[in-house]
Amino acid sequence: MSCSPFDLRDYILGELAADERRQVDRHIRACHGCHDDVERLRTTHATLLALRDEEIPQRIGFVSDKVFEPSGWRRVWQAFWGSSARLGFASAAVLSIALVAFTFYRPAAAPAASDVTAARVEAAVAQRVAAAVDKAVAETETRQARRTADLLSAAEQRFEQQRQADMQNVAERFSVLEKRYNVERLLMARNDSRGEK
Amino acid sequence: MIFRAVEDPDLIGRARRGDVEAYNLLISRWVKRVYNYLLRITGEREEALDLSQEVFLKAYQHLRKLEDPARFAPWLFRIAHNEAFSSFRKRKVESDVLAMTEAGGEEIGVERPPVFPIELSIAVTTALTRLTEEQRETVVLKIYQGFKFEEIAEILSCPVSTVKSRLYAGLDALKAQLAPLKTRGVS
Repeated sequence: MSCSPFDLRDYILGELAADERRQVDRHIRACHGCHDDVERLRTTHATLLALRDEEIPQRIGFVSDKVFEPSGWRRVWQAFWGSSARLGFASAAVLSIALVAFTFYRPAAAPAASDVTAARVEAAVAQRVAAAVDKAVAETETRQARRTADLLSAAEQRFEQQRQADMQNVAERFSVLEKRYNVERLLMARNDSRGEK
Repeated sequence: MIFRAVEDPDLIGRARRGDVEAYNLLISRWVKRVYNYLLRITGEREEALDLSQEVFLKAYQHLRKLEDPARFAPWLFRIAHNEAFSSFRKRKVESDVLAMTEAGGEEIGVERPPVFPIELSIAVTTALTRLTEEQRETVVLKIYQGFKFEEIAEILSCPVSTVKSRLYAGLDALKAQLAPLKTRGVS
């Protein structure tokens, strides 16, 4: 276990600040254990660095190699759009055409793809609601009309019955009056015939 | 006239705009480092070469995703790390299925012939192969590639504390193997 004020591995790897390095330097001059540890770490580090980088044995495929080469159409496309001047000109041309087209023809604002779907759903729902409302209104109106007709028919029937009852009543009263009149006339005729005798 | 070498971020910018020659120049600057990193963590030249090819192809395909061109090195080594460990996983699955190696253990390639022919190289290579995959990779990134702790953490996608603990454990194991050998004069 190291008694150094800072980690000896950081010391070997050069990760300590100058002041921290000085403190470790002072410590390892006095501490044999840490001094030996530093020496072993230094040896390890040096041994590891003895392993040199190898040259790559074979050239790896570069992007410009035939195998990675884009197709002819793609090369033309890239060659055209690779130029910022052409890109700028094309952008300006497209913008101009769009402005001219917009001046003469102003279609309804094209909704975004998601908006179109949402609008379609909303329209379908609205259509269904409208159809349901129309149907309900028609049914209600039909029901109301039928009810009104029934009521009217019943009223007419009652009126006719009342009229017939009234007519019958009048006829009966007239008949009674007529009978009374006939009785009175017969009685007067009888009284007249008795006075002549 | 003062000659100024083209910096990596400039090459990256040009490569992003479709300049393949700029990307080729970028490859030529980094291919040796990437190859040696892969060689030391895989222990096989052929595999290191194949993986290097994959790394630079992937880097080219995803170059637009690199947010900060100044951080190209950790980004490139992150791709190399992913490729290597993807290969390790595949190799482990294959070896499990074929039962060609003994089960268990984190170490890989212990039985493989050493890559570096001289005696010292054999000692170092053997010592490195006795480390766990994580320890070996951290040692390679720090000692041989010279990355900072923060950069290694970025490459390995782990905290700096994990990087330090792996590195220190690896160094202690290497010290136990290499320092006695060195003091006995094996070089």
